[in-house]
Amino acid sequence: MYGFEALTFNIHGGYLEAIVRGHRAGLLTTADYNNLCQCENLDDIKMHLSATKYGSYLQNEPSPLHTTTIVEKCTLKLVDDYKHMLCQATEPMSTFLEYIRYGHMIDNVVLIVTGTLHERDVQELIEKCHPLGMFDRYSNRPFASSRPHPVAASDRFSFSPLCFSHCFLFSSIATLAVAQNMRELYRLVLVDTPLAPYFSECLTSEDLDDMNIEIMRNTLYKAYLEDFYKFCQKLGGATAEIMSDLLAFEADRRAVNITINSIGTELTREDRKKLYSNFGLLYPYGHEELAICEDIDQVRGVMEKYPPYQAIFSKMSYGESQMLDKAFYEEEVRRLCLAFEQQFHYAVFFAYMRLREQEIRNLMWISECVAQNQKSRIHDSVVYMF
Amino acid sequence: MSGDEGIEIYEEGEEIMDVSNEAEAKTEFEKGKGDENVLQFLDSLDEYLTLMDSVNSKLREGWFDLASARHSMGTLRINSTLLDLKYHPAASTLQVTEQEVPRFALSKWASKGGSGKEKHFSTDADSEMGSPRSPQLRHRGVFEEKSSAKDETVLAADEEIKKERAKSLSVFGGLVSPKLRGAQLSFETALETLVEIANMRSSMLSAFEGITKK
Repeated sequence: MYGFEALTFNIHGGYLEAIVRGHRAGLLTTADYNNLCQCENLDDIKMHLSATKYGSYLQNEPSPLHTTTIVEKCTLKLVDDYKHMLCQATEPMSTFLEYIRYGHMIDNVVLIVTGTLHERDVQELIEKCHPLGMFDRYSNRPFASSRPHPVAASDRFSFSPLCFSHCFLFSSIATLAVAQNMRELYRLVLVDTPLAPYFSECLTSEDLDDMNIEIMRNTLYKAYLEDFYKFCQKLGGATAEIMSDLLAFEADRRAVNITINSIGTELTREDRKKLYSNFGLLYPYGHEELAICEDIDQVRGVMEKYPPYQAIFSKMSYGESQMLDKAFYEEEVRRLCLAFEQQFHYAVFFAYMRLREQEIRNLMWISECVAQNQKSRIHDSVVYMF
Repeated sequence: MSGDEGIEIYEEGEEIMDVSNEAEAKTEFEKGKGDENVLQFLDSLDEYLTLMDSVNSKLREGWFDLASARHSMGTLRINSTLLDLKYHPAASTLQVTEQEVPRFALSKWASKGGSGKEKHFSTDADSEMGSPRSPQLRHRGVFEEKSSAKDETVLAADEEIKKERAKSLSVFGGLVSPKLRGAQLSFETALETLVEIANMRSSMLSAFEGITKK
């Protein structure tokens, strides 16, 4: 019953909520970003980060540093924090935490399939995969339900690249390389993974080419978001309320990005509309209008009818889309920070993971600007959190 | 006798004068040519330095736009492991004409075995449309018909170029950010500028050779 979480939440979730709030306090502040923006080179950035939680991950990296190295090490720190929380979680929190990873799994599958289409080495592709998106094949488990079924913490995959599960993982991800179409992809590899239920809408025998892979990516993500949304609704309470808002915003932002990125491409209006999620503030009338947009000004015209997005688009001048990403990220960060204002719900875990990903994006951007000697452009894309 | 000698001397004198006038004219001509070579060299050098600045600026812009695209789309979607290793024809080719002064011409977005509607980028000014020397301006009626046919051809060529551009970006996915397209345009402009630099360098070296030959 909503409002009574305070009676029972701490029995199973109290420890982890305390952990995540402690982690939240360790997020980089505006003062940290100001110091980083003053750096002359990547070694200076490493020196400034040595005083933060990333210090131990970067200290052994030799010079000269590369921006991808900084991003990789910061991501490893995020993965370790996530792993710690996942190992301590019980149901239904563990399933909730698993849902956070599925987006990365989809990205990894698409990376492997695209890279294979381009005749790249599978091992090289696996090294580029996001560690949060690695998955095992649950080959000994019959797939009875249409939703990813919960498993015990000890059965879950390990992030360590050296353990046996990684070898098993290698063979399952390598199998992705032999698939010629989505039906084979599903049958050979993905049927036993958490992504299996999301393939029902994209099971075709069409060959995998660049546009079909893109449609597959967006269709999978749409199915994932809808499934996550329904799961949060079932949880109820503050989790449902806060996660509904966050996921609806995510769905709306994806709709706008799909629209803008598909302008001038061969993606038809009908196909574009099929990629929009079936929830969110823009559903269904906003989607109808977005599907027929042919330029950024028409997109603006649609979005300005919705007050939460009017503020975002008012920051941009007509015909411009450069600052749209930053505006959306700022709005997302604002909503994620608000999630911490309430207790006894799971949305804080989602908010924390998203804020850390934004922090890593900020670090990547600052590193790129410093490396390219474009420090005057740093503030084009850095999003401050606190 | 002395008169004949005088005429001879006069004629010799005239010849000598003609020869000296000729030599003087030749010297003047060579001097003019030399000045022309010097001017050409200095003009080429100035243009070369301007083009170098331009290409540096465009490349900087391109790399920055690429970083923006990676920030927007994510590092998994834009990285070197996605580049296509399959055999495929080059999207753009460079032709070198072996003349007295080597010239370079860039043929952008030309697909092998295609309809041949590639866009040729050349630094040769006479090949540009609407040149004052074009005879089409004299025949208005014919020109209007030819102009509409030409517009259709240009539109069709532009469509082909758009498709080729999208095809080359498709290694990063079917739906890419406008920032990545911006990066592509910056690098494309940089490539054109590099060809101009090569031509300018060729002119510069030719002018320098003309000066040093003196």
